[in-house]
Amino acid sequence: MFPIFKPAGDSAIAIIFGDEIDEEVNKKVHAVAEAIEEAAPEWLIEVVPTYTSVYIYYDPLKVSYSEVLEAVKPFLSAESREEKKRIIEIPVAYGGEFGPDIEFVAEYNGLTVEEVIEIHSKPLYRVYMLGFLPGFAYLGGMDERIATPRLEKPRLKVPAGSVGIAGKQTGWYAIESPGGWRLIGRTPLKTFDPSKSPPSIVKAGDYVKFVPISDEEFWEIYKQEWGENNDRAC
Amino acid sequence: MIELVNVPSLMTIQDLGRTGYQKFGVPVSGVMDEVSARLANYLVGNEDNTPLLEFVLRGPTIRFHFSAVFAIGGDVDAKLNGIPINPWESYWAKRGDVLEVGTLKSGMYGYIAFAGGIKCEPILGSCSTYIRANFGRALKSGDTLSLGYAILTEKEGKKLPKEFVPKYSNESEVMVILGPQEEHFTEEGIKTFLSSTYEVTAESDRMGYRLEGPAIEHSEKGADIITDAIPLGSIQVPKSGKPIIMLADRQTTGGYAKIGVVARIDVPKVAQTRPGGKLKFRAVSVEEAQKNLKRRETIMEAIKMFLLGKLRAYKLKVFEEELIAFTKVEKKR
Repeated sequence: MFPIFKPAGDSAIAIIFGDEIDEEVNKKVHAVAEAIEEAAPEWLIEVVPTYTSVYIYYDPLKVSYSEVLEAVKPFLSAESREEKKRIIEIPVAYGGEFGPDIEFVAEYNGLTVEEVIEIHSKPLYRVYMLGFLPGFAYLGGMDERIATPRLEKPRLKVPAGSVGIAGKQTGWYAIESPGGWRLIGRTPLKTFDPSKSPPSIVKAGDYVKFVPISDEEFWEIYKQEWGENNDRAC
Repeated sequence: MIELVNVPSLMTIQDLGRTGYQKFGVPVSGVMDEVSARLANYLVGNEDNTPLLEFVLRGPTIRFHFSAVFAIGGDVDAKLNGIPINPWESYWAKRGDVLEVGTLKSGMYGYIAFAGGIKCEPILGSCSTYIRANFGRALKSGDTLSLGYAILTEKEGKKLPKEFVPKYSNESEVMVILGPQEEHFTEEGIKTFLSSTYEVTAESDRMGYRLEGPAIEHSEKGADIITDAIPLGSIQVPKSGKPIIMLADRQTTGGYAKIGVVARIDVPKVAQTRPGGKLKFRAVSVEEAQKNLKRRETIMEAIKMFLLGKLRAYKLKVFEEELIAFTKVEKKR
């Protein structure tokens, strides 16, 4: 049945590899996306890998839909090269001013704050995809024991680096934005920096490990990352 | 340098968008109406992707601190030093001159292009403003902007032939390619979508246009999908059954089923529809959409060459139908 090919308008094609969130399906997605990107045919505009699909954005003035279809078929056999698995450590100061909702998360799940931190920082989370907003990583593998519903009323401003939980999902806000996640901590790392290439410190297919740090360590790293003069309050 | 004396509405610097970073979650952005923007750029001898000003409904007042050549793209009255000037025509402004752009008579987005373009520090390869991530910001009264270098001679006095002046309508038929999640809709739902008239609501911006009209019925698969990519012009249908057309500042991925994607050639038509305006959708094949787009691009290229003085245009009448023919301008030796 899979893969399925579908036009997504006149300038994109979707290749769908499965119909549920699954690590093996996602590995295939990234293997194929990378192979097509590396081949860089002249009509290719960009490739966007997601949980279960690869979207190929192409220039319809240079190539037709059926030609793209033929051209991508040889890449479908691409094998995942994940033996070179990248693990990105994300230091997180949990609780206090950095994670104002951690007590709620603990109470909601009948745990102590320390248990929440331990459960949250234990797994190796897979980055299934990046999307939605710049640098936003969709992580898989959170322990359901700390799953917590979103805020009823989203905050107007969540600082960049804030780490949160929304339902069974966890992740961090790469840029300052409004948001409804339960905030449990914050990373001092500049996880998205448009002056760098690539702009995001994680890419799809990476693995993430949250490492608890103290408030002092937070400010030390924060200064290195964001500069002395950056407003602490923002 | 130009000074923005008065900015009465949302105005941003845009080019054709930021490509190559969607896999990092970075939206494409770029002009809402690529045809109007590109034509405005052609009028001042710029390339398609040159940064220019995009405003919503009401134009700005601008004081020139140096000579510049500019052109306005949009259905709008304007004055240079109090004297009426035309859109779709390039003018030379001297130091101290003041340009006042009025309110669009039709359409939603207007453009002001300057020879040499607006100087800006590109972020991830583009000057397109994307406000949510602080890639640039909304321009405000009192801001000054620098222009890129350009030879100004022979750039003014260019006029877009009236046959090619974009017409903005508040009632349009829009071509769509169905899918990629058509199985999330019932046959009846797709029929509703293709046979009803939808109204653009006030909850519409550079990110997307929310439509009001008969609710589209989902199949037993429901409105939600596993988060998936969102190409330009995607028509998402959330649980309410009311479609949302995703435009320039759309997020790169989303979790609502897409019933179809607007053909690229018709994206400007959608973007230029005001709240209250009406849209009807017609399903076409990918091949048909691409054929139409190719035809438009051939014309765009010819207009560009014509305005650069490399092609000559003739009006012909063939079987009662008026046609514009282009021929090469032979260089005199």
